[in-house]
Amino acid sequence: MGLLDTEAGKRRLLCVEIPAVERYNEGRDPDFKVQVVRGGSALTLRYRLKPCHNVYVLETRLHSGYPTVPPETRVVTPLRHCPHLLEGQTLCLWRQGSTRDSSRWDPAKFTCIFAIQAAWRWLACYEVWHETGEWPLPEAK
Amino acid sequence: MDFRPLTETERKHLITALRGNAQDGLAVLMDRQTTSFLGTAEEVPDEEVINAIRSVPCHY
Repeated sequence: MGLLDTEAGKRRLLCVEIPAVERYNEGRDPDFKVQVVRGGSALTLRYRLKPCHNVYVLETRLHSGYPTVPPETRVVTPLRHCPHLLEGQTLCLWRQGSTRDSSRWDPAKFTCIFAIQAAWRWLACYEVWHETGEWPLPEAK
Repeated sequence: MDFRPLTETERKHLITALRGNAQDGLAVLMDRQTTSFLGTAEEVPDEEVINAIRSVPCHY
């Protein structure tokens, strides 16, 4: 399903994703609102998160195959190299293997806001790791 | 980034919340305006669901 070039994709965008982003932005400080930017056949969400004392700039990319293909989130703010961080400061969130079956992303249950919440939790873990050297959560089973 | 660390008390509070979220399904609450950590809750009213992080089935 192409998010921007099929009827199903457009319907998903208009009925699920955009309303979720609008709801997320309600009452939020302007600096912390999600901005949606189109680039080619993909959409990018740009936003800031501040789980503790530090503000991080992030981008979550919804590829043309989204939501079947999981969103990809990277932290723009420079980080120390740490566990669960891939090339380009992309967060290791959903991947359990190389096949779709083993992905932890469930397009029937999650929206792009869920990806933002997952990134928030990742950053909270990072803040703990930064001081202790230990990732505070065990590997998901 | 000029990293500002958590205090020991803040860190313990956050670790407890993260583990409660992962193991017991507690919701982690984000501040509506700034996304800062507010605490945890077992039940979340509908209007605050967007600011409540449920257990995330992530690879970590």
